[in-house]
Amino acid sequence: MSPQGHFPGGGGAMKKVITGNQAVAYGAILSRVDVVSAYPITPQTTIVEELSELIASGRLRTKFLKVESEHSAMAALIGASTGGVRCFTATSSHGLAYMHEMLHWASGARLPIVMVNVNRAIGPPWNIWSDQSDSLSQRDTGWIQLYCENNQEVLDTILQAFRIAEWGKLPVMVVLDAFVLSHTSEAVEIPTLEEVDQFLPPYLQEYAIDTREPMAFSVIATPDYFLEFRYKIQRAMEEVPQIAKKVDDEFKSRFGRGYGAIERYGKEGAEVLLMTSGTVTSTSRIVIQKLTEKGVSVAGIKIKRFRPFPSEELHEAIRGAKKLAVIDRNLSAGVGGIFAQELRASLYSREERPPVFGFISGLGGRDITPELIEEAIHYTWEHPRPEEEILWLGLKK
Amino acid sequence: MSNQIIFKGASEMPEISVSLGHMDWNKTGAWRTQRPFYEDKTAPCNAACPAGNDIVSFIQKIDQGDVEGAWSLVQEENPFPGVCGRVCFHPCESKCNRGRFDEPIAIHALERFVADFASQRSRKVEKISTQEKEKIAIIGSGPAGMSCAYHLARLHYHATVFESYPLAGGMLRMGIPSYRLPKDVLDREISNIEALGVEIRTGIPIGEKIQMEALSDYQAIFIATGAHMSRGLKIPGEKGRGVLSGLDLLKKINLTGKAKVGERVAIIGGGNTAMDVARSVIRLGKKATVLYRRSREEMPAFEEEIVEALEEGVKIRYLVNPIGIKEKNGLKRLECLRMELGEKDESGRRKPEPVPNSNFFVEADSLIVAAGEEIETSFFPKGIGKKEGIILTQMDGRTAVEGIFAGGDVATTQRTVAYAIGSGKKAAMAIDCHLRGKNSEEAIRQILIGDGPSLSIFRYLNPGERPKSPHIVDFEELNMDYFEPSKRQGEKERPLRERKKGFGEVTATLTKEAALMEGERCFSCGTCNECENCYIFCPDASILKREGKIFHQVDYDFCKGCGVCFVECPRRAISLEEEAR
Amino acid sequence: MKKMEIPLSENLGHGHLACAGCGAAISMRLTLKALGEKTVLIIPASCWSIIPGFWPYSSYRVTAIHAGFVTGGATASGVRAALDVRGDRETLVAVWAGDGGTFDIGIQALSGAAERNEDFIYICNDNEGYMNTGTQRSSATPFLAWTTTTPVMQPKENPKKDIMAIMADHQIPYAATATVAYPEDLFRKLEKAKKIQGTRFIHLLSPCPPGWKISSELVVKISRLAVRSRVFPLYEIENGRTYTLQEESHVVPVKEYLKLQGRFSHLKEEDIRETQRRVDDAWERLLRRARC
Repeated sequence: MSPQGHFPGGGGAMKKVITGNQAVAYGAILSRVDVVSAYPITPQTTIVEELSELIASGRLRTKFLKVESEHSAMAALIGASTGGVRCFTATSSHGLAYMHEMLHWASGARLPIVMVNVNRAIGPPWNIWSDQSDSLSQRDTGWIQLYCENNQEVLDTILQAFRIAEWGKLPVMVVLDAFVLSHTSEAVEIPTLEEVDQFLPPYLQEYAIDTREPMAFSVIATPDYFLEFRYKIQRAMEEVPQIAKKVDDEFKSRFGRGYGAIERYGKEGAEVLLMTSGTVTSTSRIVIQKLTEKGVSVAGIKIKRFRPFPSEELHEAIRGAKKLAVIDRNLSAGVGGIFAQELRASLYSREERPPVFGFISGLGGRDITPELIEEAIHYTWEHPRPEEEILWLGLKK
Repeated sequence: MSNQIIFKGASEMPEISVSLGHMDWNKTGAWRTQRPFYEDKTAPCNAACPAGNDIVSFIQKIDQGDVEGAWSLVQEENPFPGVCGRVCFHPCESKCNRGRFDEPIAIHALERFVADFASQRSRKVEKISTQEKEKIAIIGSGPAGMSCAYHLARLHYHATVFESYPLAGGMLRMGIPSYRLPKDVLDREISNIEALGVEIRTGIPIGEKIQMEALSDYQAIFIATGAHMSRGLKIPGEKGRGVLSGLDLLKKINLTGKAKVGERVAIIGGGNTAMDVARSVIRLGKKATVLYRRSREEMPAFEEEIVEALEEGVKIRYLVNPIGIKEKNGLKRLECLRMELGEKDESGRRKPEPVPNSNFFVEADSLIVAAGEEIETSFFPKGIGKKEGIILTQMDGRTAVEGIFAGGDVATTQRTVAYAIGSGKKAAMAIDCHLRGKNSEEAIRQILIGDGPSLSIFRYLNPGERPKSPHIVDFEELNMDYFEPSKRQGEKERPLRERKKGFGEVTATLTKEAALMEGERCFSCGTCNECENCYIFCPDASILKREGKIFHQVDYDFCKGCGVCFVECPRRAISLEEEAR
Repeated sequence: MKKMEIPLSENLGHGHLACAGCGAAISMRLTLKALGEKTVLIIPASCWSIIPGFWPYSSYRVTAIHAGFVTGGATASGVRAALDVRGDRETLVAVWAGDGGTFDIGIQALSGAAERNEDFIYICNDNEGYMNTGTQRSSATPFLAWTTTTPVMQPKENPKKDIMAIMADHQIPYAATATVAYPEDLFRKLEKAKKIQGTRFIHLLSPCPPGWKISSELVVKISRLAVRSRVFPLYEIENGRTYTLQEESHVVPVKEYLKLQGRFSHLKEEDIRETQRRVDDAWERLLRRARC
């Protein structure tokens, strides 16, 4: 791939058939990221490789630190971000888990770092395929989490992510499925650097290193103040829906594509609503279309933003629905699917609390076929309430 | 920022825990259980110097390259650095703590350097006004008398020195040969004293030209006539021809530059006078043999004198006691007895016992007796107390007669130049107390150096300045980690053959380079010399500086009392005490 | 009397929370004077996360970034990258890590950064144990020393890790040992390090009164004895190959060093002999490495 072709400069946007990982690389470079620090792990590796090539071409001043572990990758970015520049990394699965301590640090330090996580199972057993357990295990670390359905959305979400992060002063994780997206080619419209520059202003940060005004960062705080610092993070999270909407709206007006925190699709007034995230959504769209034509009263909700959990948007979208089905491609052992769990928690305080059917499938890259999705919808349709806490799809008992 | 910052709510706080102020408000001084403080202490050399020199301070000045400043410091206590640097027996060097590390500092050489260097710069000494004050008479222009006159002048008194000889200087001129103390050095330092306004009237022996009674219009009198009468051997034949007194011989050489003695000269005695006589005889081209009744270890002469005398060819015969002098054909025949050493006497030396029937004869062309000095008492006023050959005085130099003080060789058995200078200083101070109605014993107590007996007139004139604890710093209290062994810079001696030819000075003054090198060896015991170890090693930045220099203040707001400064001060200029709570 | 010229500005202010006589406080104060105001100091978890004080205050008067325990080498790499991107080649990036954050939990990040020859000065403030958490053993704790996790009945059984050899073998441009008692030497080495590009490593021994069980006033003396007994010789290694061993004119037996420290008070005669043997052996090894 010639470096020149990636940055047409004067010309208009171009459409290319690229993999999800390539889309990630484009997203980072178009955002004029200053420092990248990453450690390879399947299936993120082609991101790192792609970025290396793009950076080596020298058109941007980006520095790539080829660190010796994921923990160091995030630590280096925390250093760089405190140094007042735009930062990016990508990882997956074990790498993300290794970074865990530093994820807390990044949000506690309120650094607008953007990271792509390619959803992959965490072993043992070793497994390199699609599974959401890795990103969802990090849901308490104070990162915004945005899930993507296709490669276009991946690129677009990264561009939006920097804006949201820098505005909201919180780090953002952009998530895509292993292999299904990361290594699968799709047609993607790639904006030009100039177009992105219009949308994404240069990096600005309230507290950055300036040796003329020396300060100490991340000073130890006693119980007298720690509560308030954490309160401020929660308040910041509470501002995110508004910020994200403004960013998404602007993106839409510039580039013609908007995503929202969630997307409801299908017939109005459907009795059953199926909630999915990631690439499962694409399959679900087709299944729901087919079943609707057959007369089943079902529609779908794609959840894009997992953190902060889109309670308000969901409560609006589920109005009138009688039953909610959730397909979780993850497991919190002892509790069940995490999307389902968060949904139930978000519904608890409402008057209207339709039953939630929590389906688990697809762990470790097991294909979530149209048949399995149909099975889930039929089950939900036929049962007044779920007969079990966890409904396993496609399990070989 | 030293104020505390308090936030009332989250809305006032920044998003992140970035620092907004410093920790100045946290007075860690409250943690202390012990506190350090700067306290200059007394160095052993200072305490040992009978003249009361502040040795450490003048060496510090040399270190700083300020030789004129060093000279001024010395002048505060002692007007005779050129003299002392040459003839003092330097008890300071015996007590020097450096001596317990490698070799003691050559303090006398540095003192001499300072004097000689300053003289080359022709320093001007200014006359001091004496309008208001009384007149003091000083009898004798030796080191005691001149020192007293010097300090009285600085105290604004009018001092008149009466000297029986035609030239001033006392034993310094009469008794010490030029090769040890050149006359020009002596003249220079005497004229410095005169320039202050001191009047010296030479050629006036008290008791002959003027009687003591005539001095009644002086408000006080200081007797400093020294001990310049030769003590006789009390043996038959002593009064004969060709038997000279050593002191007389030295006086002759010192006044006229020459004297006549026979080819072979025998000198009886073992003190500095005997050595001076013997070495002078060599320089007159004759042979000198010294006869001493005890052994070498007991000889009271300075060790250096003995060594140089032997180098120059003086022969010394030990354990020989003359008992009679006869003459035959122009030759002196000295009958002697051999001696052997018995029990120790009061002076701590083993008493010589004659060996019976060991008589033998020593032949010589000239015989010189240099067996001790006695005081001249003929002019003493009635009521002056005497005992065992000296005038009795109180601790402050007062005699039994009111208004009359005494010091120097006439009032002590400690017959050294340094002691004499010290006693003149003390007398000046005591006279001031007497005339101003102050308690002299109390005043002296205040200005003792260490435990005394030396004292500092600087502290008398400037109470409260340069305070020093009387504690004498011991070698064990110093920190040797900061010193490397180094060679002592001694004065260079002229070659033997040259030395013996005349009365020119035997050694050369240190060069400036050598003086600086030697000065650097000084530990500066007890006195801060701003090495800044305390400042460097303080973990809490609590050693304060002003305009880039230590000013001996600890920041007690923050000092935690760790004691590192106390241990790392190489010279124990910092003390540690319990924190009072 | 030649006086050491050191900058006047107190880049570590007073009022900080270090124990009285903290060897590291002397080291930090001197180091920050040498490094100057145009410095960003990265501090992985250690005593120095606490000593400068609690929010909203800090004793540091240079830019300081508190960082995770593991992350000294990594955080510094990131800060350096950011400054370079901003076009700032003047500001110095430095790490101040403890022995824990260097020899043990932080060794991965340090080794990674050193292998990449990242451009910063890494100062390991070695007080030979996890002192901040209450004196537990680290791999920098010397043979037979007491710590809370190597009690007297079972003192530290392994020798101290040779971090200088490890760093030298990364072929970094400059590595040096230094300690509190030799401030001119420390300054000289920091000044020299400042002028070199790439990873520069300073192994700085700082005695710890509570952790070593020594009287606070002896901190500098003990630091000096560490050098004189050859337990902690002063030397420099350039490019992993060229050794400059500093002459020591006052070599003393290791007993002189051990006897002042409570953490060694349980040592018997044969233990002291064994310690001496190991010190001599380590010195021989150093000489051999130096000659190659």
